Amino acid sequence: MASVAARYDELKDLDVEVFSCSVDSQYTHKIWQEHELSKMVPGGVPYPMLSDTGGKIGRLFGVYDDKGGVNVRGRFLIDPDGVIQAMEVLTPPVGRNFGELARQVKAFQHVRKTGQPTPAGWEPGKKSLKPSPDLVGNVWKEWKIGE
Amino acid sequence: MSCAEESGRIMVGQEAPDFEADAFVKGGFKKIKLSDYRGKWVVLCFYPGDFTFV
Repeated sequence: MASVAARYDELKDLDVEVFSCSVDSQYTHKIWQEHELSKMVPGGVPYPMLSDTGGKIGRLFGVYDDKGGVNVRGRFLIDPDGVIQAMEVLTPPVGRNFGELARQVKAFQHVRKTGQPTPAGWEPGKKSLKPSPDLVGNVWKEWKIGE
Repeated sequence: MSCAEESGRIMVGQEAPDFEADAFVKGGFKKIKLSDYRGKWVVLCFYPGDFTFV
């Protein structure tokens, strides 16, 4: 969670609320913040750390592992209408990539604002596509891989 | 903690299930309800447990 906390300002600038969630109690979150996280991130983790003792929320999102009794690494991007736009689920040993999360947020916000889909690897400032019958079969003229 | 009793598969393009949870926020304790954040983009990150790297 420290890697997201370190770049939290970027998400705040994009008007994104962040919640982390584990099966630990809010009291354990407090101790973790005070004893470790605050030493990794200046000021500690700035976003709400949710307690999901029993894994009820994890079950709702399909990320609760009954065997381990924990939530696996699931990340959900939810839009202002409450609709899930993106999700990524990893097994515990591999951490997430913040850069890709930020890119997806920007791309989904671009789509919501302009109605134009973004091609593979899109970054702000790059071309998005205007869907029309003329585009069918002609994407190769409008966009190239790596563009 | 209480959660909306919803079943069904989680799917992109579908509404996220609502929930309410106890949270630790910057030194204090607070209830967080997902549906209170309509109108905002939300990133919800699950992880196995405190004192592990994420």
